[in-house]
Amino acid sequence: MTAEPPMTTQPPRTAEPPAKAAAARSPRALKAARMRQSFVRFWKEYRTHRSGLWGLGALVLIALIALAAPLLVGADSESVTDAPGLPMEDPSGEFPLGTDQFGRSVLALLVWGARVSLTVGLLAAFLCVAIGTLVGIVAGHFKGWFATVLMRITDWFLVMPTLVLAIALATVMDRSMWTVILAIGVTTWPTTARLVRAQTLAVESRPYIERARALGGGHGHIMLRHVLPNVMPLVLAQTTLVISSAILTESTLAFLGLSDPTITSWGGMLQDAREAGAVSAGHWWYLAPPGLAIAAVALAFTLCGRAVESVLNPRLGVAR
Amino acid sequence: MNVRDQHDPQSESPPQNRRRRRTLFASGVAALALTAGLAAAPAAPAAPADAPQAVAPAKAGGKTLTVALAQSVDSLSPFLAQRLVSTSIHRLMYEYLTNYDPKDNKTIPGFATEWKSSADKLTWTYTIRDDSTWSDGKKATAKDAAFTFNKMMTDDNAAQANGSFVANFKKVSAPSDTELVIELKKPQATMTALDVPIVPEHIWKDVKDYSKFNNDEKFPIVGNGPFVLTDYKTDQYVKLKANKKFWRGAPKFDELVFRTYKDQDAAVAALRKGEVSFVAGAPALTPAQAASLKGQKNIKVNEGPGRRFFAIATNPGARTKGGEKFGDGHPALLDQKVRQALFLAVDRKTIVDKVFQGHAVEGAGYIPPRFKDYFWEPSDSQKLAYDPERAAKLLDEAGYPKKGDKRVGKDGKPLDFRILCHATDPNDKAIGKYLKEWWGDLGIGLEVQCLDDVSVPWYAGEYDLAFDGWSVNPDPDFVLGIHTCAALPEKAKESAATDNFICDKKFDELYQKQLAEYDPAKRAATVKDMQSWLYDSGYMNIIAYPNAVEAYRTDHIKSIKTMPEASGNIYGQDGYWSWWSAVPASAGSGGASGGDGGDDSGSTGVVIGVVVGVLVLGGAVFLFSRRRAATADDRE
Repeated sequence: MTAEPPMTTQPPRTAEPPAKAAAARSPRALKAARMRQSFVRFWKEYRTHRSGLWGLGALVLIALIALAAPLLVGADSESVTDAPGLPMEDPSGEFPLGTDQFGRSVLALLVWGARVSLTVGLLAAFLCVAIGTLVGIVAGHFKGWFATVLMRITDWFLVMPTLVLAIALATVMDRSMWTVILAIGVTTWPTTARLVRAQTLAVESRPYIERARALGGGHGHIMLRHVLPNVMPLVLAQTTLVISSAILTESTLAFLGLSDPTITSWGGMLQDAREAGAVSAGHWWYLAPPGLAIAAVALAFTLCGRAVESVLNPRLGVAR
Repeated sequence: MNVRDQHDPQSESPPQNRRRRRTLFASGVAALALTAGLAAAPAAPAAPADAPQAVAPAKAGGKTLTVALAQSVDSLSPFLAQRLVSTSIHRLMYEYLTNYDPKDNKTIPGFATEWKSSADKLTWTYTIRDDSTWSDGKKATAKDAAFTFNKMMTDDNAAQANGSFVANFKKVSAPSDTELVIELKKPQATMTALDVPIVPEHIWKDVKDYSKFNNDEKFPIVGNGPFVLTDYKTDQYVKLKANKKFWRGAPKFDELVFRTYKDQDAAVAALRKGEVSFVAGAPALTPAQAASLKGQKNIKVNEGPGRRFFAIATNPGARTKGGEKFGDGHPALLDQKVRQALFLAVDRKTIVDKVFQGHAVEGAGYIPPRFKDYFWEPSDSQKLAYDPERAAKLLDEAGYPKKGDKRVGKDGKPLDFRILCHATDPNDKAIGKYLKEWWGDLGIGLEVQCLDDVSVPWYAGEYDLAFDGWSVNPDPDFVLGIHTCAALPEKAKESAATDNFICDKKFDELYQKQLAEYDPAKRAATVKDMQSWLYDSGYMNIIAYPNAVEAYRTDHIKSIKTMPEASGNIYGQDGYWSWWSAVPASAGSGGASGGDGGDDSGSTGVVIGVVVGVLVLGGAVFLFSRRRAATADDRE
């Protein structure tokens, strides 16, 4: 009996493609069309948020610069042995932002640093949201003692000072980019978990979930097919917002010297500048750009996140 | 290993804590720096708030000399203290049997005025001066010296800091108030360089547990040095007042304050403002800091040859005294050719020019050139100069041919090393970047492992290479002794005197020979042989001898002695010469007015740093607050 339904539904599906164009309404095509439609609707709405557009524009620009770093400033500009300048030079035509203590161009490092800062920010945010979503949905779906335990763990992580926990983690593990990603990811998920759990509870109280359950839908089916798509918008908005804080945390950890010292990131540049005594020497051109870059990227992601949030959640109103 | 800058115990220190001990400072300091808009501006005025007398040193009444230090005191007990700051303060508080001439490091009288050894070299008789009194009025005698040594010989807790000096003592006695007799088991060449503070018996005989007593309970602390310690607050300051009755003559300053600044930039800013008179070069001021201070009104940057060497140590296979092997050092490093190849690919000149920016001397032998009697340089044929081609050839010979970009061993695994680096030392990190590229060109991978506390993997032998460094005393016995088999740990992973697990019969024989040799020239020749052996072994590759770079205000300090006198360091001397000799500048020129001229160029940077910091922080606060508001709405 279990093998029967596929048997009956499959032949038409495989035979469909030629017929599909005519009928134009297979489930898959339907789905695609619906998604296209909702994306157009989303974009229309998003366009009305001017700050969101600014944020998006800035992000695209920064991402392009980061991707084109080897073309823009040369692939070997991170090398200390082939450094073109003298240590700690003042800004000049050749080095618009001066040089660091190895004689490398600060501008070139800034461009290269964008790669690490963005990568770490994105991956850490993804990890954080992934953990948060998993915990949130599971806790919202399975009620009872299991959910209680899960949420108490979440609460425990929530009250722990994130930075302190991340520093502790980064200290125990090897100094590398992946450690930083992991440290940020595992310390910032509780907010997402709480949000997702709340949304899960709301979704699961809707009648269609009950119907799905009555029709024999198992836990996995309900969580993946019904709850997840409904919390996705929230998760998406949350992700964009988490990215900016992840980038800030990454910079902080790198500044504290807890990242891999051999890679160039903005926080690491601030740390290098401080260690080189740039503060005493008054080399603001070495100190200011990485700080401004961090602020700019964090701001851009936040603007995007706000816009996405208000598009997906009309209750927030247009004023935002 | 730690003996660098911050934690640089003088070389007599025992092993327990000698590696970098500034475990948590880095993060704390850095966090402060970030939030405080990159440190300088807010930190500087905040720190010395409780020291009004330090701000105006030229006011009527006492003249105060304030020294900014990056390190804090570990213990004020001479039996426990290991850090450079503590041992430097002990030099000021107590007398040592002998002292070093600031001119040329030769031994000169201290607490003892004369000394002689018996014909069999086993009995030493010291004549103790009769014009030294403790600060509570009691006379300081040979009995105090005998008590100090006997305590260290009989109580293990009292032998922590300087136990190595008395390990070979048979008996110490004081037949009269002015005569001290030390009998030895074996001849010992360090008898005129016993760097042990002599403490007053009438105070210390009542101390019950020497491992716990930190000598910071009753102020002022009774001593007989040029200064008397009057106050101490952990991690904040140490105050000393001049001992007017000091036998060599009273110091010119009335008060000496060592103030802890955990951020060097904050210390530099305080110097600019005239809040401190001196910034200690431990760690050395960075080239950028020194350059920004040079040419400033009323500020003098002092640079002298340092006492330290900076080296790359390779793990020779960690083992215990009994021969039990432990740790996970890379087996390829057991091959001398591989070790030498690594060093051949290190361009020491570039490191001195770029990383130290000329504030260091290119490395050669184990002992810095400042100690010219013992300084050794490899001959041209022996020298491992920068030669990547020869390095590649040596690696080929050792059985690590290049396949593609990587050197591959017989087992088919690529050659990848780890190097232990002190996260708190910018130079380690900077040199790590160079090594990664140089060795990368050779086909060797390198992972730079920067830790706040390297002592854990170090004692466990879990490293391939490590940045190492020691401060060397005028007498080289200690820094040589840490490479003998006797220094190896009893049990695996236990702390021990050994620096780098080196244990070699030839080296040990030479060590015993120099220790028993009373003729200075012959002893120096043996010491040079030992350095030659170390150089060839490839276990300790000396990269550079960093200079001491420090700065002081000339409107506070008119003159101060460096050691060696011609060109040397001021902070961290082998003796009390600098602070004892410092002459205050005349009253009119002190304090507030002096700081103005120098401030301007620096403050631009500081202001901008603050602006950036505030921007970043403001951004963060803004984001978080908005997000909080939003998420509150989201909840159903």
